Formats: sequence, C-alpha cells, structure tokens
Amino acid sequence: MAGKILIVDDEPVVIKSCERILSPEGYAVDTASNGREAIGKLGKNSFDLVITDIRMPDMDGIELLRWIRNSKPETGVVVITGYPSQESIKEALSLRILDYLPKPFSPALLVEVTQKAMECVKAGETAETPAEAYTEEAAKQLDSIIKKFRNRPGSLIPVLQEAQELIGYLPPSVQRHIARGLKLPVSEVHGVVSFYSFFTMKPKGKHNIRVCLGTACYVKGAEEIVKKLSERLSIDVGGITDDKKFSMETVRCLGACGLAPVVVVDKDTHGSINPVKVHELLTAYE
Amino acid sequence: MERYRASVMLCGGTGCIAGGSLKLKNALVEELKNKGLENEINVVLTGCNGFCAEGPVMTVYPEDIFYEKVTVADVPLIVEEHFIKGRPVQKLMYKEPLKKQTIPLMKDIPFFSLQVLRALRNKGLVDAEKIEEYIARDGYQAAAKALIEMTPAQVVDEIKRSGLRGRGGAGFPTGLKWELCARVKDDNKFILCNGDEGDPGAFMDRSVMEADPHVVLEGMIIGAKAISANKGYIYVRAEYPLAVHRLQLAISQAKEYGLLGENILGTGFNLDIEIYQGAGAFVCGEETALMRSIEGKRGMPRPRPPFPAQKGLWDKPSVLNNVETYANIPQIILNGADWYRSLGTEKSTGTKVFALSGAISNIGLIEVPMGIPLRKIIYDIGGGVPKGRKFKAVQLGGPSGGCIPEHLLDTPVTYEDIVQTGAIVGSGGMVVMNDLNCMVSVAKFFLEFTAEESCGKCPPCRIGTTVMLDLLTKITEGKGKQRDIELLQDICRDIIATSLCGLGQTAPNPVLTTIKYFQDEYESHINEKWCKTGVCKELCTFYIDEEKCKACGVCKRACPQKAITGEKKVPHRIDQSLCIQCRSCYEVCKFGSVQIGPRSMRETLKNLPPQEPLKNVEIASLAGKEE
Repeated sequence: MAGKILIVDDEPVVIKSCERILSPEGYAVDTASNGREAIGKLGKNSFDLVITDIRMPDMDGIELLRWIRNSKPETGVVVITGYPSQESIKEALSLRILDYLPKPFSPALLVEVTQKAMECVKAGETAETPAEAYTEEAAKQLDSIIKKFRNRPGSLIPVLQEAQELIGYLPPSVQRHIARGLKLPVSEVHGVVSFYSFFTMKPKGKHNIRVCLGTACYVKGAEEIVKKLSERLSIDVGGITDDKKFSMETVRCLGACGLAPVVVVDKDTHGSINPVKVHELLTAYE
Repeated sequence: MERYRASVMLCGGTGCIAGGSLKLKNALVEELKNKGLENEINVVLTGCNGFCAEGPVMTVYPEDIFYEKVTVADVPLIVEEHFIKGRPVQKLMYKEPLKKQTIPLMKDIPFFSLQVLRALRNKGLVDAEKIEEYIARDGYQAAAKALIEMTPAQVVDEIKRSGLRGRGGAGFPTGLKWELCARVKDDNKFILCNGDEGDPGAFMDRSVMEADPHVVLEGMIIGAKAISANKGYIYVRAEYPLAVHRLQLAISQAKEYGLLGENILGTGFNLDIEIYQGAGAFVCGEETALMRSIEGKRGMPRPRPPFPAQKGLWDKPSVLNNVETYANIPQIILNGADWYRSLGTEKSTGTKVFALSGAISNIGLIEVPMGIPLRKIIYDIGGGVPKGRKFKAVQLGGPSGGCIPEHLLDTPVTYEDIVQTGAIVGSGGMVVMNDLNCMVSVAKFFLEFTAEESCGKCPPCRIGTTVMLDLLTKITEGKGKQRDIELLQDICRDIIATSLCGLGQTAPNPVLTTIKYFQDEYESHINEKWCKTGVCKELCTFYIDEEKCKACGVCKRACPQKAITGEKKVPHRIDQSLCIQCRSCYEVCKFGSVQIGPRSMRETLKNLPPQEPLKNVEIASLAGKEE
C-alpha cells in the first residue's frame, strides 16, 4: 500500500535515512527540515502521512501537529521522539497521533510503523471520508441520535446501529464523536465496534451483497458462490469494487434455509443461487 | 367483522416473500376486485407456514386446499377455477414425490399430518400484524388467568410440573429457573427473551417471532408474573428486520389494549417490554454474554455463579428464556401441566420445533412430539433425501452439536438420548447431509465458525478452536499425519474441560462426532490422500470409468472447463491438466461412470492410450438419443 509521506526533522541524517528506507517500499517521500517548511509543503500538496520530530528549532513538532489538526485533519501523523515518557509526547497523543517512533529506531520498525499508520489513514480518515458521508449535516443528525439515547442505560449499541444506518459505516471520526457525546472512553466505543460483526469500519458499495454461510447454505455449495462473486467482482470478502458499486460480505445464517444457498443484495433475498445465476444476479444490479 | 365465503391464507414468511408472495398477494387482490369478489374472498398474509421448500404456498379455507409454488401467472386460473367455478386447481396441488399422487388437502399431506402444533399453533392461521386475530385464537387468555387467578408460586409450580425445558439448546428446566429467581427478593428484576438465533441452519425462532409475535409477549407476561419482574427485553438479531418490525408492532398493540404497561388488566401489575437489537455475535446467545450486550458492552460471558437468577442484567435478578420456550407457556397455563406432559417422554415433555434443511425433500419448519425417532422426522415428514442420493448424517445443534449417522437414526429425539450420540438437541436446527458431503470438511466448517465467533476471553476456546481448525485444514489439504486424529481428540477433551462458557465447552462436538462415526473418512484423507466425496480438491482425481460410460455427453456439457473429450459412441475422458475438481460431471452422470480416485491417480491418468469406441453399439445408440 503506497502513499505520500512528508518527513520532518532538523537532522539531515535522519531525513536521509528515512528517505532511503521508505522510498524502496513504494512510498512517495518528501522532506522538510522544520515545521514552517513542512506547513509550506503541506499547503501546496496533500500528504497521507507526516512523520515528524518533536524538538526542532523555529517551529517544533507539536505546533506543526496543531496546525495539521486544524487545517489538514485527514492527514495521519507519526512522531519521532527520544523521550516517549515526556510531557511533549502526552500532548502529541492528545492531538491524535497514530503512533510514535522512539529514537533510535531500526529500519524494520520504521517500515512497520509506517505501514500500520498508512493502513489507518487509508481505512478510516481518508481525505474523502468527511466529504462524502460524514458531513456537517450528518454530524448534526448524529448529535440528535446521541441525545435521544444519552440518558438510557446501555445506549452505546443502539447509537452505533443508528449511526451506521445514517452514515453507512463507522469510521474512527464517527466513533470519536459518539464517545464524546456519550461521555465514554473512545477505547470502549471502538471495543464494541470491533466486537460485533454487524458494525463495519469500511464503507459499503452502492449495492451490498451478503452471502449466507449457514450450514444449510454451506451444504448446498455457498463457498462456490463466494468464490464466483469474488472472481467476478475482483474483490475479497469484506471488499468494495473500485467503482464503489458493489461490496461483499458473508453472514452467519439468515434463517432462510429453505432457499439455500441464499444471497441477499441490499434488502432483497435471492434463493437457490448457483454459480451460473450469480452472473444474472449481478447483471440485474449493474 | 365482515364475513367471507372463503379465506386465502398466503404465506408471508421470509422464504415465501423471497419467492414473491407479496407480489402474489397484490395480484390476487387485484384479480378478485376485477371479478367483483373482493367482498367474498379474503386474502390474508400469514407468518411462515413451515413448508418453505414448496413456497410460495397458500391454503384456501374452509376447504383446507393447499397450493404450492404459486406464481403471479397462476392467479387468474385460481380465481376463475377455484373461486368462481368451485373447482380447485389440480396442477398447483402438492404431489407426493414417490407415488406421483396429488394430495389436495393440507391435513392429508404427510409433512403436515405427522406434526403436532403447540408452540406453532397459530402458524398460517393468523395475520401476524393484527392482535385481534391472535386474541380470537384464545390469545392473552393465559396471561389473564395468570395475572388474575394465580399467585406467582402457582405459575411457577404449573410450569415446573409441566416438565418444560429450555428450548434454546441446553434444556434447563424452565420452572426451576423461574423458581430460583422468584425466591430472590429485589424490586428490580428483569424478564428477558433470547431471540438471538445464532446457530447456522436454524430458523425456528425467526418464524415464531414473525408469524406469532404476540405469543412471545404473552409468555413473557406470564414469566414476569412468576418472578415479579416489571421490565422485559427481547434481544433480537439485527439480521431479522421483519421479526423486529412485527414485535415492535405487537408491543404497541398490546399496550393499546392494556395488556402491557401500567396496571395490566386492572390487576395492578406493571410490565414494560422493549426490543433490543443484537449486533451479530454468536456468543451473545450465551446468557451472561447477552446481558452484557444489553448493557451496551462487548458481549463476553462471565463465570457463574453468581447465576443470572441472582445477579443478571445490571446485576439484578434476571430470567432469560428462548423464544420457543415462551411460545409454549400460554398453552401450559391454559390447559394445565398434565395436558402438556401427555406428549413426549418422562424427562423430555411436550413438543419441539425443528428447522429441517440441507439435503432433504421437504425443507421447512416442523413441530413434533419429543421422543419421535429421527428416522420418522427425516423420512416420513422430511420426505427423505432427494435426487437419488444416499443419506449420510444429520447434524443437530449447530456448531455446538454433532453429526448422527445412519445406524443411529432410530434414536428418539429427547434431551437424554441425543446427548448419548455426542450431539445435542440444541435449538432445533436439523441439517441433513448426503453422500456428497465430506465429513472432515463439515467439521472444518463448524470450527471455522466457532474459531471466528469465539469472543476471545478465555484461552482454551480462543486458542483451542484455532489449533483444531489448523489441524483440520491441514488434513483437508493432504498434509495430515496419522497422529493428528488422536491429537484432535486430546485437544477436544481439554477445551471441554476448561472453557468458560457453553460456546467453548461444546465447540469440539462436531469434531468428536465426525471422528467417532466417520473415522474412515479422516483416515483416507490422511493415509491415502483421498477425499472420496471429491470435496477436498487437493485430495481427489475425477476420472471416467470407460467400461461404464455410455457416451451420452451430459458430463461434457456440464464441464465448465471443457476438460471432457469424447465423441458419440466413444467413452468420454477427463483431461487432468484442465480439470478443476468442481464435481459437476460427477453430479450429473446418471450411470455412475464418473469416479473419484485419490490424488495420486492424476499422473497415471495423464498417459493413457487413445479412447476406443464403445463395444456395445446398441447401448450407445440408446444413450445417444438422450442427447
């Protein structure tokens, strides 16, 4: 998974070595030697990830981070620090950095942290997320959902269900919003989201295909249908097509075993599907 | 209420709706209007009729005529012939598969005639969205009796004497559960209903909630009276939107009628019921996990004691019963414990609902007296295994259950007898497997399920299921070793002994039962690298027995890879370099000439001499005609 990275550090050696390690991994790497220069570059181009030192002359990493949170909130940030226990890192954490690199770090660690951070950026707060689904309008509606349930015991799951209905999925920004609204730790919200298979952190396609993998469907060859679908759409289970038309997931028994094998597209149930019918089914929705 | 001369009860269960029953209803109403019959014939969309395999289905009363696989195109015919001329339509009636006999009346069809309906007594008879129809079928009489005439102790006693056991799977005596909770003194108690039907291959609770939502509410009202609870929750899977909708509707109707809420029926008893939608986690079928989930947390089980009867939801005394258990309660209160005990066996009383599916003719929902032999369910009610295939096993209890082989089919269906086989009665999923199913793969399928659904709290379940799955995967890929079978059995014993909740304690059952009854399959996978059913693609070679081949060309047409060669009158052959082991040819061959050999055969088959023409030309020409 490639992406655009900006490395900010006042030591040329660090910049050089980061560049040398990350470029062969397929990332487009740019560099800056202090915060001010970085802001200049961020203003002109968009970057997926900023890897920045904290202590720098002129404008330090924390100030840069604040600026990014205000002006480029979708950009992921990883900080480099010699003292992970100090106040500055705590402050950085409160400004929602994705990870940190303790100095000195090995090339392997740099690659791993970068890769993970990049995954977070791509999975959640990509540049399109706020624009497409999580609009200000949606945020307002989300507030009214939270208000409706706030005083009821056990309100988190119903709120998440309605939020997902509203936005289509639950990106980290939405989870944080809900956590604030319900006065819960973000970790608890995320814990619940990741526990239940009904909740998804990935967007769904225009048509969502759910293939039943219950016993009755399995006995009648549901696995072949999953295979056929992923071949035809070139996506894996849980994936979404490039044109965002279709997404596919599997479910544990829809309780319509009389129709096995069953495929549900959006809200329509299709029974007795076989690999040949898969083709017709998709054509009908295309 | 208007009077009609006939009523059409059209099935509106999930299966039939997918088959187009909503369109069918509109077409029927429209056609009746066109013919001026709208005041004479009533069309009702009911809950699941149960005979899902033949859907969309409808029954016409008062005659009790049963029509199957009805399409919109059949509507004018039905109206013209049946409702105008009074001649029921032969071609839409049920046909007995073996004798090809037409059976016009629903009560004469074996699928229906061998059932005894108690929990499902209203199936196909009421409009699930109208409380009046439920009340007309004695609905809420039992609740009234319990609230007005009985003390909580009397209710508990009646249920205890009935011998009713929890229908969710474990079979814990319901009366005892209620008694334990009733004894605890607390002003805040909860009555909970488990509609989180998670077992794959089970749809009993779904059907009850969709077809007869009021019976669930009535059962809960009686339970609330017994334990003195004033608040109830129904936990329903979010995957069941129709059930959620109908329950919601039922709750608001019951409130309107004063059957829920404050001062029910003027007795001073209060009960409020709310629906809580689950979010898709199998482990939430476990009672302590379900309660955590209602509290809005990760649905993880906790050790017991304390039992939920003492400390349950929000640490308050709570009773959780399954949907089907509640569906049995009103009839027990109304007719008495002795009536309920009149069916079933000493320790397993009454009836049980099963969802029949898989390789069986009559897929659907059935209710039978406990103690009935499995064979009777599968062959007499279920109509046996279709397409000339052979019965191999029946799977009971989903991922917690096991596979029961042919020679144990005379086992009576009771909690005690089924456990002896290594399976469990479970919530009622009954999936039939035929000779095309590989039992090692079936075990793997269930382990994939439990490994994914394990909540991760206790290591034996989290790690154990994954290790078992790895071993099974290895075996199905031809990398199994002789001692893997023993190793699997060892791990199973440990997981059963040390897991925290029912999910882990029962997860090994599918593995243990398949090893117990189908060890030969495990051995041929491991020793001969041979999956005789052709399911495990790495472990089989498809070839044509050229002595048996009639050169009819059916396999050639079925092959998606065009791997089969052979002219008319020349025995066909599979090109091993093209074959993808999809099994299509094997399934279509009528002469049994497509064979499945071990993987090692592939190389030898690549160097065969050219095909020779068939010796028996007569047979070949006969077969040729089929083309």
